[in-house]
Amino acid sequence: MSTTTTAASSIANEIQQEVMERKPFSIVAFLKNRWFLYAISLTAFFALWKYVDYTRVLGNGIAAPEKVVVAIYRLMIDTVAGKSLWGHTWASLNRILIGFAIASSIAVPLGILMALNRYVNAVVKPVFDLIKPMPPFAWISCAILWFGIDEPSKIFIIVVGTFVPCLLNSYMGIRLIEPQLYDVVRMLGGSRRDEILQVGFPAAFPAIFAGLQISLSIAWTCVLSAELVSARSGLGFIIIQGMQLARPDFVLAGMVVLAFWAWATTLIVTYLEKFLCPWKRETSLA
Amino acid sequence: MKSNNQPKIVCQNISKVFIQKGSQRVHVLEDISVDVKPNEFVVILGPGQSGKSTLLRIIAGLETPTTGTVTLDGKEVSGPGADRGLVFQSYMLFPWKTVLGNVELGPRLRGIPKKERREVAQRYINLVGLQKFEKHYPHQLSGGMKQRVGIARAYANNPEVMLLDEPFGQLDAQTRYFMEKETARIWETEKRTVLFVTNNIEEAIYLGDRIISLQGKLPGRMHATYEVNLPRPREQTEMKFLELRQKITDASELVL
Repeated sequence: MSTTTTAASSIANEIQQEVMERKPFSIVAFLKNRWFLYAISLTAFFALWKYVDYTRVLGNGIAAPEKVVVAIYRLMIDTVAGKSLWGHTWASLNRILIGFAIASSIAVPLGILMALNRYVNAVVKPVFDLIKPMPPFAWISCAILWFGIDEPSKIFIIVVGTFVPCLLNSYMGIRLIEPQLYDVVRMLGGSRRDEILQVGFPAAFPAIFAGLQISLSIAWTCVLSAELVSARSGLGFIIIQGMQLARPDFVLAGMVVLAFWAWATTLIVTYLEKFLCPWKRETSLA
Repeated sequence: MKSNNQPKIVCQNISKVFIQKGSQRVHVLEDISVDVKPNEFVVILGPGQSGKSTLLRIIAGLETPTTGTVTLDGKEVSGPGADRGLVFQSYMLFPWKTVLGNVELGPRLRGIPKKERREVAQRYINLVGLQKFEKHYPHQLSGGMKQRVGIARAYANNPEVMLLDEPFGQLDAQTRYFMEKETARIWETEKRTVLFVTNNIEEAIYLGDRIISLQGKLPGRMHATYEVNLPRPREQTEMKFLELRQKITDASELVL
């Protein structure tokens, strides 16, 4: 039949390819080059930093970039309060992992349950709405009064801070599912259980994951805040120590390492999502 | 076996009133009665806002009629079920499943073993002309290809009745012509009782054995029924095709 051949060819026509055009080299094009401008931007930033240090505008409040690098290196070898930089990094990371695990293992199922069952929603939502707008750091005094100055109080702050986005995203993830997707399962003869397993969970997955990503960056903020108030270890502790010893290079070293780890952990979650959701990411609630 | 003269689907005096927020009543359908014979291709034709999609959802069992009944093989329809396959206007494919995963969903929900349901799915993927695209995800497909998956998914569950709700409404004109041709070919290969909803007069004449046209503006009422006795495959430029098209167009203009 000729119909089958037309079918194949018309499908082929529906696939489009993009072809990049190469331009000849010129000075103007080079100056407009993205990478060249990136280099300019970064060089200017470090030059300004160095200049501020050189002129002592901020007195002893700032350390030159190269001194920060040296400080990071020295902190990795020497110990502050019995721990090297690695030990302090692990102390912060450990708190985050525990807090994050506790929060997500409660908030995600609760959010899903709230979206699926209106009675659970009616019971939990009023209390949740009351606590939701409170910044996590507002809990710090309560946390210290209740759990002391040791690990539990810091983990508590992280749990409180990460709980809200985890729950909210799981809830919205289920709620914003296109209702006709459920109709598909019903028309194919599926039960209510099939609707939840075949549509509910997979459709909400990207939104739940977005919630975890937001939670993770909030967790870093929370751990830092908690450590700045009271701690004998962690990256926040290094920053505070640097301030009390009037060592701006330690302060900046702590900040740089903190930023690096916050970035690295977010990157891991991003790649994990790409691995777990090979389909195109369509829902993101940031 | 049931005799072939007995209608497959009977809709009797169906009306539908939706209650919206603030107890506002929206009258969508009024007194619709339709009989569909086994393996007949019936097109429900009507402009936008004539309640035709609601009628299809009532037959699908996704909505309950306010008055009137729908019966399938003499049994009253009380909810959605695997004996009817629905193809959606906006495809409604599962983005997290591949083409194969989407098509084999029906047999999978009915607990058919993997090997068997793969064979069924593959057969219908081939029927709609998507061989070599089994491993693709929906976002990698064009609109026309997505709706092919939608049709294959409905077919793979082996329903007795196919319900298509403006399936090509989102396609460009050229792809649409092509998909109409494909639909006719698929239907000739695997005959089913078909109810096809559209707002496109040409599409209705090209595909239907019988056209039931609804009046525009809510509530939707029965307007006229046209038998299409043109030989298949049909040509949009045939004289008789154009005459019928003119007849339906004239009749609808009187109403609008």
